[in-house]
Amino acid sequence: MDIRAQVAMVFHLDKCIGCHTCSVSCKNVWTDRPGAEYMWWNNVETKPGTGYPTLWEDQGHYKGGWKVNGNGSGNGNGKKLSLRSQNKLDAFIKLFYNPNQPGLEDYYEPWTYKYQDLFDAPAGDDQPTAIAISQVTGEPMAIEAGPNWDDDLSGTTLYAENDVNLEGLSDEERDQLFEIQRVSMFYLPRICNHCANPSCVASCPSGALYKRGEDGIVLINQEVCKGWRACVAACPYKKIYYNWKTGKSEKCILCYPKLETGQIPNCFHSCVGRIRYLGVLLYDADRVADAMTVNDRALVESQRSILCDPYDPKVVELAKANGISDEFIDAAQKSPVYKYVMKWKLALPLHIEYRTMPMLFYVPPLLPVMGKLDNGRYENIMDGFFTSLEQSRLPMKYLAKMFSAGNEEIIESVMKKLMAVRYYKRSLELDDLDLVSISRMMREGNLTPEEAEEIYALTALPTTYDRYVLPPIQREEAISGTCSPELCKGECGLSFSESAKRGL
Amino acid sequence: MIDSFLYIALPYLAIVVCVIGSIYRIRSRSFTYSALSSQFLESKSLIWGSLPWHIGITVILLAHIVAFLCPSCWQNLMSHSQVLLAVESTGIALSIVSLLGLLVLLVRRVTSPKIQSVTTTMDLVILFLLIFQVALGLDMAMRVHWGAFWAAGTTSPYVWSILTLQPDASYVAEMPLSVRAHILCAWLIVLLIPFSRLIHIFAAPFDYLLREPEIVVWTNPRRIESATETYEAQESKRHFVTGLWLIAAGAFLFSLGTVQNIFKFFFGPRLSQKEEEEIMEIRLKRLQATAEQRKLELEREASDYILVAPLSELTKTTGKYFIDYEMHAALAFVDDDGLPNLLSAKCTHLGCTVGNQVNGEGKIECPCHVSYFDIHTGVPSAGSPAKEPLPLLGWVLMDRQGKVLASQSPAGKRTGNVSADSLKEANVYIAKKDKEATT
Repeated sequence: MDIRAQVAMVFHLDKCIGCHTCSVSCKNVWTDRPGAEYMWWNNVETKPGTGYPTLWEDQGHYKGGWKVNGNGSGNGNGKKLSLRSQNKLDAFIKLFYNPNQPGLEDYYEPWTYKYQDLFDAPAGDDQPTAIAISQVTGEPMAIEAGPNWDDDLSGTTLYAENDVNLEGLSDEERDQLFEIQRVSMFYLPRICNHCANPSCVASCPSGALYKRGEDGIVLINQEVCKGWRACVAACPYKKIYYNWKTGKSEKCILCYPKLETGQIPNCFHSCVGRIRYLGVLLYDADRVADAMTVNDRALVESQRSILCDPYDPKVVELAKANGISDEFIDAAQKSPVYKYVMKWKLALPLHIEYRTMPMLFYVPPLLPVMGKLDNGRYENIMDGFFTSLEQSRLPMKYLAKMFSAGNEEIIESVMKKLMAVRYYKRSLELDDLDLVSISRMMREGNLTPEEAEEIYALTALPTTYDRYVLPPIQREEAISGTCSPELCKGECGLSFSESAKRGL
Repeated sequence: MIDSFLYIALPYLAIVVCVIGSIYRIRSRSFTYSALSSQFLESKSLIWGSLPWHIGITVILLAHIVAFLCPSCWQNLMSHSQVLLAVESTGIALSIVSLLGLLVLLVRRVTSPKIQSVTTTMDLVILFLLIFQVALGLDMAMRVHWGAFWAAGTTSPYVWSILTLQPDASYVAEMPLSVRAHILCAWLIVLLIPFSRLIHIFAAPFDYLLREPEIVVWTNPRRIESATETYEAQESKRHFVTGLWLIAAGAFLFSLGTVQNIFKFFFGPRLSQKEEEEIMEIRLKRLQATAEQRKLELEREASDYILVAPLSELTKTTGKYFIDYEMHAALAFVDDDGLPNLLSAKCTHLGCTVGNQVNGEGKIECPCHVSYFDIHTGVPSAGSPAKEPLPLLGWVLMDRQGKVLASQSPAGKRTGNVSADSLKEANVYIAKKDKEATT
C-alpha cells in the first residue's frame, strides 16, 4: 500500500443556485489576461445542456480519458488502461496537427466593447452605441456565443436536446423531460477534478504536467510546456485550456498559492449557496490504475475501495511511514469530503467512466417532485414516499449517466438517503408523518437518526470551517517566483513572474 | 573573397550563433522555447499545411544529415541505380509536398485575421526563407539531376571541411547558382534558429517514448528523511553526466581533424625516405602548378592574343586542350575546311572538364556524368545531364610575322580570307574580349 493524501472536493448540487459567483471570482484573479479571456477554469453549466466547451462530454469526438485494453474481467485481470486520444507513436504525428482538439469556436470568441465611442460620438439623432470588438483580432465582430450561452435554456432544442447524457433515454422519457410546463434543470459547477489517475499528465509529451505528491493538485509547469495541447485532447472534462497568446496550456490550480497560506480557494470562498466542501482524502496509490479497469457499472464502488479510512490505525501508520504529517492525517479525519463520499456515500464522481478517477464529487440533485400544481392548487404527493422518486422530473437514467457510469442503483440509493433525511427532519419539525412510514423510509434509505442529524448539520448548517478543513500545505517551490495576484492583475497570475509576452 | 565570406565566415557565424543562442534561449528563456501553435484559432486549413510540411521536411532533412555525416555509406547506397532512382523521385515528391504545405501555411497566415494577431515579422521571414529554400532544392533536383549521388562527393566534403575546422570553399565555388544559393540559404536558416520559432526543432519529445504515464512531484522533505538531498544528488549527477556528454560530443566534432592528425602522427604508417621525397616532389609540383597558373593569368592580363597552337598541329579527332581567357579549359579542333574550331571544355552541368576524344558521331564526352556535346555547335545530345551548350570560342589566325590572316568571333562572324598556302604556316590565337570586336 502506498498511502497518499489528496485535497478533494464535494459540490452539493441541491444547494447550487447557478449564480456564477464562483466563475467570476476565479476569472477576476486568474484568467483576465491576454490569451486567457475565453478560459473559465471554473464554470457553471445548465443541465441538461451542451456545456462548455460545447459538447465536451462527447468523447467519440474528443477522445478524452482512458480506455481499457485486454481481456478478462474484475480487478487487474490482465487489463490495462491506455489513453483514448493517442498512443506513444501517433502522439508524434499529433504534434503537428491534433485532430481531437476543441477550437476557439467550441468555446466562444472573447470580446469587449468600444466604450470610448460612447464619449467620442458626435452629437446626433441616435444614442451612441459601443460596438463589440474581438479580443483576439481587435476587429469589430458579431457575437455568436459567449460564456454560459445556454444558461437556463434547458427547454431548448438547440442546446438541451443535444446533451450527450440523454443517450439511451426512451422517446417517452425525453418528451417527459422537455415538456415545457415541467421542464427541469439543475446547475453543474465544474473545476478541474485533480484526478487520481490523470490522463492529461500521461498525455503530455514534454512532461510539463504533474501531480503534486503531498496534496494531489495537478499543475502545468509553464516553463516546460511546449504548447502541444495533447493534454487538452486527453482531459475528458476539457478543463485544460490553451492560451493562444503565450502558446502554453493552462488549468485550474486549485488556488494553491492560497491553500499554501491557509486560505480558501476563490471559487470555494465566494460560493453563495455554500455548496462546496474541501477536505483531505487518503487513498492507496498502488491500486489506482487497477481499480479503473473494472466494468463501467462497478467503477464507483471500485473508486471507493481505494479510498482509505483515516481512522484505521493501519492506514494511519502507513500514511505516517509515507511522510504524511500528523496535521494532514488530522485533517483527513475531520474531512467533510470523507463523510460525503465514504461514510454516507452521498457524493459521486462526475463521469467516472472516463476512468481518470476524479477527486471532485457531486451530491446529485433531488429535483424533488414532492408536490405538483393541480388546478392552480399545490398538492403534496405523499403516498408511498418514494413514488415521487420514480416520477422524478429528471429520469434516474440521466443522472446515472453523469454520476455513476450508468449504474442506476447507486443513484437510487443516494436519492433514497437524501429523501429520508428530509422526511426525518420534517417529521421532527412538523410531526405530520407516522412513525411506521418514517422508519420504513429510514430503513430503505439505509439511514440512522444519528446519521440523519449529521447529514442535516453538514448540509444545512455548516460554518466556513466545517466546509473547508484545510491541512497545512507545503509551499510549491516555484511560489517564490509568483507575483502577487493583486499586484499583477491582468498580466500574469500564474506560477511564473513573466507577463504573457513571448517576444519571439 | 566573397566566396570565403559566404561559404566560410557565414557558416561559422551561423553555427556559433545557433549553438550559443539556442542554449541561452532553451535554458534561460525556456518560456519561449516552443513554436506558437495556432491550431486553436484556425484548424481547417492547418491540417493541409502543417502535416505535409512537417512530414516532408523531416524525411528530407534526415536524408541530408545521413548524406553529410556518412558520405561513403550514402554513396555506396546510391551507386545502385534503382536505389538512386527511388531516392531521387521520393525526394522530389516529398519536396513538392512540403512546398505545397508551406504555401498553404503562408496563405493561411496572411488571410486569417485571427492568425495575423499571433504572427510576428520573424514568422513571415522564416516562412519566406523556407519556401525559397525548398523551391531551390526542388529546382536543383529537376535541373541538375542525380544530386543524391554527386552531393556525397561535393557538398559533403564541404560540410566536413567546415566541421573539422579546415574550411575549403573551393568545393562549392564551381557549383551552379541554384546549388550555391541553396547552401547559402541553409546557413541563413541555421543562423536564425535561436531568434525564431524554429527553436522548436530541438524540442522533439523523445523522452515521452520511455517515460511512465504518471508524474508525481514531491516538495515535502518529510516524506523521506533525505528526499531533498537524494534529489539534489541525483540532479547534480544528471547535470554532470549531461555536461560530460555535451563536452565529449563537442570535443569529438570540433577536433576530429586534429585528432586524426595526432593519431596519424603516433600510430600512422611511417614514411620511408623515398615516400617523403615523393611527397615533397608532389608539393613542389603543386607549387609549380600554382605558379604556372598565376603566370598564365598574368599573361592573359597583359597580352591581347594568346597562342593556342600552330594550325598544323590541330586534328579533327583529338582536341588540343588550352586555357582560355576565363582560365577555364577549352578545346581546339580543326574543321573540314582547314580552319580551327574552338569551344569551351567546362561542362555546363557541374563544371567538369570535357574529354578531348571525338567519337564517330562528332561528339565529345564529359566523363563525370556522361554528357555528349557536338564539337561544332557545343549542343549537348538529348538525355545528357547537361542542358546548356558548351560556349563556342572565337579565334584569330596569324602568320609568323604576327599579321592577322583571318578571324572568327564567338558568334561565328568570320573576317579575312586565307589561301591554302598561308594556312600551313599559320598559328591559332584567341583574342581578349575587347579585341575580338576590332579584328
